[in-house]
Amino acid sequence: MQAANSHRLTPYLFLAPAGLVLAVALLYPIGYMVYASFLDWNPSQKINEAAFVGLRNYANLLVDPAFRESLWVTIKFASVVVSLEMLLGVGLALLLDRKLRGMTLLRTLFILPMMIAPIVVGLMWRYMYHPTVGTFNRALKGLGLPPVEWLSDSNWALVSIIIADIWQWTPFIFILALAALQSLPKSAMEAARIDGATGWQQILHIKLPLMMPVLIVTCLLRLIDAFKVLEVVLVLTNGGPGLSTEILSLRIARTASEFRELGKAAAMSNYLLLFLMVLTLAMFFYSKATERRAARLRAEAEGAH
Amino acid sequence: MISTVKKIALVATFMAGVAGAALGGPYDAYKGKTLVVNFPAHPHYNAVMKVLPEFTKETGIKVEVDQLEYLKMREKQTLELTKAKGDYDVIAYVVFSKADYVFADQLENLARFFMNPLLADPAYDPADIIPGYMQNIGEAGGKKGYLPGPTASLFGIPFGAETSILGYRKDIFEKHNLKVPETYDELLDITCKIPKLEPGMGGLASRAASGQHASHAYLLHLAPLGGKVFDDQWNPVINNEAGLKAAQTLKTIVDCGPEGAKTFGFAEAGAAFLQGKTAMFLDSTVFAGQVDDPSKSKVVGKVGWAMHPMGVRRASQTGGFGIAIPKNAKNKEAAFLLMQWLTSKKADKLIALQGGNPIRFSTHGDADVNAKFPYMKTFGEALKYADPDWRPIIPPWGKINNDLGTTMSKVITENADIKASFDGLAQRTQATMKEAGYDTWK
Repeated sequence: MQAANSHRLTPYLFLAPAGLVLAVALLYPIGYMVYASFLDWNPSQKINEAAFVGLRNYANLLVDPAFRESLWVTIKFASVVVSLEMLLGVGLALLLDRKLRGMTLLRTLFILPMMIAPIVVGLMWRYMYHPTVGTFNRALKGLGLPPVEWLSDSNWALVSIIIADIWQWTPFIFILALAALQSLPKSAMEAARIDGATGWQQILHIKLPLMMPVLIVTCLLRLIDAFKVLEVVLVLTNGGPGLSTEILSLRIARTASEFRELGKAAAMSNYLLLFLMVLTLAMFFYSKATERRAARLRAEAEGAH
Repeated sequence: MISTVKKIALVATFMAGVAGAALGGPYDAYKGKTLVVNFPAHPHYNAVMKVLPEFTKETGIKVEVDQLEYLKMREKQTLELTKAKGDYDVIAYVVFSKADYVFADQLENLARFFMNPLLADPAYDPADIIPGYMQNIGEAGGKKGYLPGPTASLFGIPFGAETSILGYRKDIFEKHNLKVPETYDELLDITCKIPKLEPGMGGLASRAASGQHASHAYLLHLAPLGGKVFDDQWNPVINNEAGLKAAQTLKTIVDCGPEGAKTFGFAEAGAAFLQGKTAMFLDSTVFAGQVDDPSKSKVVGKVGWAMHPMGVRRASQTGGFGIAIPKNAKNKEAAFLLMQWLTSKKADKLIALQGGNPIRFSTHGDADVNAKFPYMKTFGEALKYADPDWRPIIPPWGKINNDLGTTMSKVITENADIKASFDGLAQRTQATMKEAGYDTWK
């Protein structure tokens, strides 16, 4: 009996170190953040001096117009950049998935923007957007067009940071989509070609559906990242004009350092975390559902034979 | 963060050895000690770095400086000050940190040092230090908590303090026979005349970028135009007539400013003036040192200085940095000696000659200093009107300041209705103040 018990415990014993590392490295900080979000805590206090306020931070945030505006800006930003990046990235991958001379070099060139530190990207674009000496306005002037207030007009400012983000992160989608394309089963392509599928039909009915699992993960990774973007916006507009580009992570940083409300900043981070978790779960269940549907179709197809 | 830390150990052992025989009195007990101080990366403190070896030579006390970007500095100090034993013996703090640090009981009250005959130098002459600076940066606990008054005490000494001053292009003003503006009406008139007289040139370079910059620029005009953020009962009055006029003033200035003015920060506004793209500059005195530096400025020798124009009253800003001794410092007495030395008449002059911002009337009037920086005398005049209450220094200010800055930015960039915007601002400010407990006694 004793021996059986210890046998049953053995796997858990082996798992214990990993579990411990997980608890210390992952759960503790998150737990700390969740706890902090229930406090009225300013950085000059130690955490045990902070007053417990329950859900007040969460409740206040829900009616805080600045937070809501910032959340809305973030959603707008993330959804636009991720859809455009997916479109461009996958499109580029489909175009460049062929044997060309110097392809390796081209591919390296394409992914360069991704490797530049975000602060540098921000500074670079800021100079290009400069109202008088910037590349864009000088080009516009050269073409006889009126200059655009890239960063000082509240509608253009969001567009400007979207352009910069697309420039930087499209390569990420491109490189993953390309990898997915190249690992597609050759037999399926061949079969399609033999059956007389046109290029478009191949893309729409063979390539894209087969790439879908990779694309979903890619999209999710980008989405999570887009919700947390900070540096480029910080350098380009610092949230302005007004609150037009004040994305959530910038608002969180401000709340913690400028407004000195650590509890509220933690609560905002938790809202963001919850929001991203819902998104992830939705994506997860969607891909599960499509897989199941595919499996059912396959089973039906096999049954028909 | 570590990467921005510039640790410079000023070890002048051989000098101390040479001067050893001559040492006597107050510094003896602390000879050979090392003080750790936290300074911002800032023109004034760069000048201080050049003068510090003099202190070590004179006293035998070594000083190790941790110089940080000023916003980083505040974050680091916030952590540092909550420790049981701190690393810093002296900190330089941004003026709006006064509220946080004093409220959290993290700074030494300086009274016990000034009472100690072993430490206090009778020749210190505190009355020579500009009162506006002392009240704004050093004192707390008086009127409304952050101002001087019968209940106030001293927690820090201004060091690297600044006020607002008007810089103007002498050549442009002469060319068009313009009179240097004395009042706000004249200022606005000239500001919007310049773009017509000198195509491509803006009137006045001002900050306007969303947040801190727009807020600063707005407050700069609010005090002289007779406005205040709060009345004496902590009710926001920023949306009264003077408050709205200040907003309109800033909007007019930006509209008549150079291209891109809507998103200027302090650096961009300064650069516009230095590049000859505006005829006037109205902001901190810190800026003045660069005007005649040919490597940064295209307007060398063309700039004249005048007092911040008058609205219904004269009130220039007060801000910048002060130095204080943290409660958790290890060498408080030696730290006080360093503070006293740095803010003495002698060191104030030495630092001013290196391009720093003096805090004493005597230094502003000093012949040597004026020979090198002719504008110092005007600055000294302007400092008589330095207003310690041009903006409130209370813990919730960070949040209100940001809201004011984004509201102002919306007025500037989106042409938002001033009255409606500021009514909304006042309403939100009222809620913030309530949350912070300022309506407890109402």
